[in-house]
Amino acid sequence: MVVVVKFGGDLVANKEVLDRLAQDIAEVSEKDKVVVVHGGGDVVTMIAEKLGKPQVFITSPDGFRSRYTDKETAEIYMMVMAGKINKEVVISLLKAGVKALGVSGVDGGLLRAERKKRLVIIDERGRKRAIEGGYTGRIMGVNVEMLKGLLEMGFVPVVAPVALGDENEVLNVDGDRAAAHIAGALKAETLVLLTDVDGVMIDGKLVDKMSLSKARSALKRVGAGMITKLYATIEALEEGVEKVIIASGLKERPVTSSLMGRGTVITVGD
Amino acid sequence: MKVRCPDCEGEIKVPDDAIAGEIVSCPDCGQEFEVYFEGEELKLKQAETVKEDWGE
Repeated sequence: MVVVVKFGGDLVANKEVLDRLAQDIAEVSEKDKVVVVHGGGDVVTMIAEKLGKPQVFITSPDGFRSRYTDKETAEIYMMVMAGKINKEVVISLLKAGVKALGVSGVDGGLLRAERKKRLVIIDERGRKRAIEGGYTGRIMGVNVEMLKGLLEMGFVPVVAPVALGDENEVLNVDGDRAAAHIAGALKAETLVLLTDVDGVMIDGKLVDKMSLSKARSALKRVGAGMITKLYATIEALEEGVEKVIIASGLKERPVTSSLMGRGTVITVGD
Repeated sequence: MKVRCPDCEGEIKVPDDAIAGEIVSCPDCGQEFEVYFEGEELKLKQAETVKEDWGE
């Protein structure tokens, strides 16, 4: 079975949590082929500020908040994501005995993306406005042969969400969406999206199971942090992934227990 | 200010202090338009559909 596991910056930034996660991935990768995708937006923000480049955040009409990636920010983003964070994850996995190999989406042309020329935001006056897109991208292609080759060689690829644009520019892409496209391209059985909450919460209650159509209708009913995970879920299922699990990465054996049904399990049908 | 919808001729209210890039919608047909200026003149063009995938 092929399992794609994505975890965010809140888990990456905590060494104890990361090491525990790495131990669990070591166990899972004994029987399954595993691809890891990490986030780390908060770490990028922290380092950018230390470098004297405070980050600007914008909000979409649907309440999705994101960094505004200008050229300088894109350079810092690449340094931190493909450098510091990626290597820290790799080291943690190596310590746990996993044959981890770090790559960014740029290496081998792993992630190709289309640069978003325009973004629609809610501006400071509360009005909808189109602005220059900066250096974020929408993933258009995955070099799946490269990933398959690494998996066949026994590696656990650890992917940083950085992509290459049409004009060979470096683009900031969302980690959840990157994981979804990778899972889809690999025809992975399962995509596990680990976060800092127990799963999809609607009206304060954890939803344990969801269909694709319910995931679509839930887009308007979840918090801003979960929207991107639901978009990623929808894309993964549409691309042929059998099951997406959104669960907490803070629990014991987070991947193993998710694969056993903890968190929110989303499939195409009911 | 009121501007005719380029699609259905409906009446779109555009704030007087609208700036380039602002998105307004037609109350009749629901289409969204982006404000732009040709010299001093305010004009509307079809707003692009932008998907929500903005990066980390």
